[in-house]
Amino acid sequence: MKIFLAFVFLVPWLINAQDTHDHHDHHSHEGHLHEQMVDGEKLEVDVERFDKFVKGLKDKQIAVVSVKGMVCDFCAQGIEKTFKKDKTVAKIDVDLNKGKVFIAYQMNTKIDFEKIKKMIVSNGQNATKLQVLKL
Amino acid sequence: MGIKVLVFAMLFFTLNSEARPISYSGGSTLMAFSGNMYNSLYYHFSPTYRYSVGVESVEDKFFDQQYSYFRFTYLLSRQNTENSQGNLYFQSGLSSDGLDGHFYGLHGDWETRRWFIGFNYRDVKNSLKNYTDQFLQLGVAPYLGAYGDFHTWIMIKTKKNTLVGDWSTFPVLKFFKGNFLIEFGYNDQTEWDAHIMYRF
Repeated sequence: MKIFLAFVFLVPWLINAQDTHDHHDHHSHEGHLHEQMVDGEKLEVDVERFDKFVKGLKDKQIAVVSVKGMVCDFCAQGIEKTFKKDKTVAKIDVDLNKGKVFIAYQMNTKIDFEKIKKMIVSNGQNATKLQVLKL
Repeated sequence: MGIKVLVFAMLFFTLNSEARPISYSGGSTLMAFSGNMYNSLYYHFSPTYRYSVGVESVEDKFFDQQYSYFRFTYLLSRQNTENSQGNLYFQSGLSSDGLDGHFYGLHGDWETRRWFIGFNYRDVKNSLKNYTDQFLQLGVAPYLGAYGDFHTWIMIKTKKNTLVGDWSTFPVLKFFKGNFLIEFGYNDQTEWDAHIMYRF
């Protein structure tokens, strides 16, 4: 039992320390795109995640979708798999911290929020807001 | 006690409902469970996020039997908020031994990125005896990982099977990364409780 309790408290602490370290190593503020205003509103995203997502992307539209009910990796996986089937999607990522889905589309793609809503709801979550940023 | 737990859970999840025995649309899940009453291997497929169908192979330690369940799980209710998801599921299984062997019940959970509460209630009938099997589980995430990180939950589980009597309560650890989840707990009376899950 003592070993179990030690495991309970030590392992999460060690893993968290490693995660924090990794995040700091990869942090980048290249271009500060997350500070751009979209339709008069600032993007509410995990800055590190968003910067990493847009790094290397050119001539793309980034749809930032706010999603309700997205609380764990399984929810995120389902959404990611669904959007990867869409050939107009160049890249996708999920920001669990802020409840956002980032979707990169080609510049000539018409982004249809109703279609996005249907794709999100097919996984059991609800899309509530769309912001589009052009790179 | 069992009815009180069920009523509490139903009231709670009427306000806030969600769960995990169903995958995302088109997703498959393979689960292995080992506990003091039985070991099992369970595969299910979810055509939509609303329901899943599957087969569970059971090694029943109490009755010293082996059989399979053909299982059906249906999402009765889901409530999504900005920071939480709650589910209430109906679950059922029909034994390969025939209509005399079956179970039905409810499974629910409510989860934020930090907190988790879940319950399970099953009414089981087999050719030898009828019984109920139930648990409640509370958890906290000691840190909040991003998508794709290694996730950890520290939990406490209390369970009761009417074949063996009283409630037993014990700590549980849950680790989760990518498609893989492992959960295990230990209790002096019931020994190990282990659950492994893989989604694809």
